[in-house]
Amino acid sequence: MSKSPEDLFELDGGVEPPPFELTPLDQNSPELDQLDPNVGQLQPELFLPQYDEEHPAEQPQRDLRGLEKPEFMVAYRGQERALSFQHAPNLLQSLEAQGVTLPYQCREGYCGSCRTKLIEGEVAYLQPALAWVNEGEILPCICVPKSDVQLADPLDV
Amino acid sequence: MSYKCFNQNNFATMDQPMFFGENVNVSRYDRQKHPIFESLIEKQLSFFWRPEEVDLSNDRGDFQKLTPHEQHIFLSNLKYQTLLDSVQGRSPNVAFLPLVSIPELETWIETWAFSETIHSRSYTYIIRNILTEPGVVFDDIMQNEAIIKRAEGVSKHYDRLIAMTQYFETQGEGTYDVLGESSLVNVRELKKQLYITMVSVNVLEAIRFYVSFACSFAFAERATMEGNAKVIKLIARDEALHLTGTQHILRIMASGQDDPEMAEVAIECKDQAIELFLEAAEQEKEWAEYLFKDGSMIGMNVDILSQYVEYITNQRLAALGFDPIFENRQNPLPWMDAWLKSDNVQVAPQEAEISSYLVGAIDAEVDASDLESFEL
Repeated sequence: MSKSPEDLFELDGGVEPPPFELTPLDQNSPELDQLDPNVGQLQPELFLPQYDEEHPAEQPQRDLRGLEKPEFMVAYRGQERALSFQHAPNLLQSLEAQGVTLPYQCREGYCGSCRTKLIEGEVAYLQPALAWVNEGEILPCICVPKSDVQLADPLDV
Repeated sequence: MSYKCFNQNNFATMDQPMFFGENVNVSRYDRQKHPIFESLIEKQLSFFWRPEEVDLSNDRGDFQKLTPHEQHIFLSNLKYQTLLDSVQGRSPNVAFLPLVSIPELETWIETWAFSETIHSRSYTYIIRNILTEPGVVFDDIMQNEAIIKRAEGVSKHYDRLIAMTQYFETQGEGTYDVLGESSLVNVRELKKQLYITMVSVNVLEAIRFYVSFACSFAFAERATMEGNAKVIKLIARDEALHLTGTQHILRIMASGQDDPEMAEVAIECKDQAIELFLEAAEQEKEWAEYLFKDGSMIGMNVDILSQYVEYITNQRLAALGFDPIFENRQNPLPWMDAWLKSDNVQVAPQEAEISSYLVGAIDAEVDASDLESFEL
């Protein structure tokens, strides 16, 4: 193996690689046409915008398919703000999108970290819970409200 | 009567309680008294991983850059984790299998203990990777006073249950010298000891392990020892399932639906159970003093770790339906959950180091001319 400035994988560090710079590529740049995607010179990347689970309509990259989703009111003891549930895939993600953070680990119903007291209302489970759930408690990571719900930290009751 | 590997009595399997019924004979899962244990087995099997899957190549360099007191924190934490998994890899089998009476629970206990042996093997993998002489770390576990003191707390309830079971199975009811203490041994006393042992296992997996995870993730939070954190993340995923397992066992016991006498035992032992949580929390705080005796690290010190001990103890007590014992309700380590999070799947290889991605980046061809610049 000979040393040449083009050889970027030198083991002895004897050759300084050219400085690496990140320059945003202009979509209309003539340079783009000269690059050959077949040999890996051009690699498309997709950047999704930050996504708010409870406000999908503001960032319409997710198709709602014209379905009207029912909206339920959510009250969490100690939270002054009015919360609601409509679009999020589960109650935990809905609460997080609205700034209420619960403890979590597995987010799929087996660890029980997000265990929450359900004071009023009804929820539907999206999958069976593996974690132990005490009476009057729910696992927000795998359920959605079926009515308006009132929640609380299990340690606060 | 002594334990039978294949009990030849004819009995209705579905009528057996979880423990202290007939010894299991046919390992059958067609009908289950407590299907939750079958679900736990399936989940645990789906988690199967091997330590070698995690690339640790940066950790060796990271470790050398740590200050001596940070190295002490890292290695001591690893020693403690090694101790915990040494106990957990064998004790559920030795202590609980002779007493268990339903096949799905028997198999859950075996599956559970097996996954702990993977954890033990991963500690050797980590230590071998960061030190030229890994033996020093393992040898110290048996000589280090602070660690030995921890061992007493995590193993004494197991040992007592095992000793009592041995007396009962070979000599029947009576008063015996159990680990230097004259004790009555009968089914009721054994049930009490089983309940207490199960609580101590829950404390071990749901509190002690999580405190050690906090230390491991504190390093990764500073972008050092990240390979190690990745291994610990896999261990934490298993432990979350194990603590769910002991919570189910304890709650089924307390409900009396399975064995009415167990419900009485649970009430009788409630104070002792809560005392165990308190004792473990105190021991973990004492351990924090030892960890940080020569200095703290950025984002982690005795106070923060002690607050986390209190927070996590309250959480675990609540899960078992007990009242919290500490005032502190706030998680002092808000980044912990993000590290513990186990549902995130790596989508793009460049998001983190995975070995399959790095393989293509290494030029393995070495020519004599590459060594030209070396001088002896």
